[in-house]
Amino acid sequence: MFNSTGNNFGAGTIQFKDYQADNYVVLNAKFSYDPTNAAYQAANVLEIYVPDLSIDRSAVAGVILTFQDRYVYSSYTWNNDGGTAIKSWIKDKNTICLEKFTNFDDKGEITIFIQALYPMLNQPGNPIKGTRTRINMTQETRYLYWSSDTFCVIFEHWVFLHMQFSSCSYSYRNQPWEAQMGDFPTDVNADVPFLGGSNQYNPSVNGYSLAHVENGVFTCQERMSGFDSTGYDPFIFAFLVRDGE
Amino acid sequence: MIALPSIAFGGFSGSAKGVTARQVGGRSILSVKAWPTGQTTSAQVARRASMSKITKSWKLLTPSQMLGWDHLAEHTSGQSVFGQAAQISGLNLYVRLNVNRTMAGESILSDAPEQLVALPNVSYTALWVTPKNIVIKGIAHEAGYKLVIKMSAGQSAGVSNAWSKTVILSPGMEDDWGDADMTYLYFKTIGVKPVVGEKVFLEMYWLDPVTGFAGQTAYDSKVCESEADAEAEGYVKRNKITMNDIKADSHVSECDVDFSTGSPVISFDTVCLGHSNVASSEAYLEDELPSDCVGTSMALARGMGEGNACFAAQSYIIWLRNSSWDGSSITFAHRGGYYVKPTEVFGPGILY
Repeated sequence: MFNSTGNNFGAGTIQFKDYQADNYVVLNAKFSYDPTNAAYQAANVLEIYVPDLSIDRSAVAGVILTFQDRYVYSSYTWNNDGGTAIKSWIKDKNTICLEKFTNFDDKGEITIFIQALYPMLNQPGNPIKGTRTRINMTQETRYLYWSSDTFCVIFEHWVFLHMQFSSCSYSYRNQPWEAQMGDFPTDVNADVPFLGGSNQYNPSVNGYSLAHVENGVFTCQERMSGFDSTGYDPFIFAFLVRDGE
Repeated sequence: MIALPSIAFGGFSGSAKGVTARQVGGRSILSVKAWPTGQTTSAQVARRASMSKITKSWKLLTPSQMLGWDHLAEHTSGQSVFGQAAQISGLNLYVRLNVNRTMAGESILSDAPEQLVALPNVSYTALWVTPKNIVIKGIAHEAGYKLVIKMSAGQSAGVSNAWSKTVILSPGMEDDWGDADMTYLYFKTIGVKPVVGEKVFLEMYWLDPVTGFAGQTAYDSKVCESEADAEAEGYVKRNKITMNDIKADSHVSECDVDFSTGSPVISFDTVCLGHSNVASSEAYLEDELPSDCVGTSMALARGMGEGNACFAAQSYIIWLRNSSWDGSSITFAHRGGYYVKPTEVFGPGILY
């Protein structure tokens, strides 16, 4: 765990969970910024300044950019929260860069989820293969159904997580969701962006809903309004640092 | 009568047949008219046109801008001849730096840089030349600078100096994690690949695209050898798939699949076009994948700005396989998010 030492886009201190190897790092952080901030507007690339990392540059990785967009009617809130993937890379030992993606700057506060592995290239040896573990999603009363591509790849200090929603029983579609994640490490604690669903007011991107993983339990309090639209398969893609020793 | 100028009789100037004498900064300069030895490349034509345009643009500068270049030139020396450093004028410096800048894709600089910039020498470990691969390895990365690389066509192995025959292959590239793979650019520029036994000459230097200053030139040469001989000497081919390694009927318009991570991921940067109304794209490979790179991967993707959900984030499952039936291929199959094409699959993909 470490804190940023600064940034060039007017965000506050950013706290990172990290695993740092000789030839790659896994970083987790969630933070927000105000696109009307003068520092943000002056920046071409968003830079986060950090204490020495174990690697002095990386190939491009993907992180998730999200925004809120809600329309309140008399008795109903139409949730058009959205998000997409942006590029991120380590420029030098002390600088993490983010692509400046301005399409949603008019939505107000932007929240970034860094749940990425930053690799180096031209390293000795080929990639190291992990083992795919199917996550056994269970509930006392089963109302959530998941694609067979809901799995993780577990390493000693971090885990790769991919979840893909299939369907939900009709009567539970507006309820808070909770499910046990069998065979998923219990030492992972993270908010995770759940991208997918038709986004009527922001059709250039998928919808965004917030989920949480903790102690082997998946929760998702609410979903954006087009969450279960056909063909917009909501998914989670994250490299997550484990909290173990 | 032809009066031949002579260094011994300084003060001569003018041309006679192919020889020109001139006085520059108190030095007598004799030059013999140079004739191109090879076919002019398109890059050379562009460079000469650019030089002419830059020279003409000097007249558009304000007096203070010209003065700025003159002042900088006073602290800059040109190429030394016979141990005597040559002076350079503000105009010459303006042309030199701006030719370098335009070569690197930058616009013409009107104001002189505030100060001289000392660029590092190019540090590298080896130049490998085989009929299939022309690669400079182990380049020490210099952030912010670009590499200018010039190479010659294959010469007789007995030739010891043919650096005058080099042409620019790269007007300004960044090293690719310590490598500069010149194979494609060499063939594109020179037109033919070197054959075993021919000697290839190399010049390269760092260029600062901001100021136009260039570093010292590194000179090298290498006799082309077979792939097997190069490997026996220690050449290790970087394990990555690019557009050069895939067949024309593939469904990707850009492809960079890099296995050289030494970590549990593959690095992707591929544009998937889709095909036949299925949500997947195939890259058909010319050669087999190494056996330890065969497997399945999962990576993040984003639409590329066309149509509905044009910037939709997606997840892609990626199958890397060797098949005795239909060859080797990489299949990018859409999974999460709204499917759009074209889509860029990028970043690290876990391998399992």
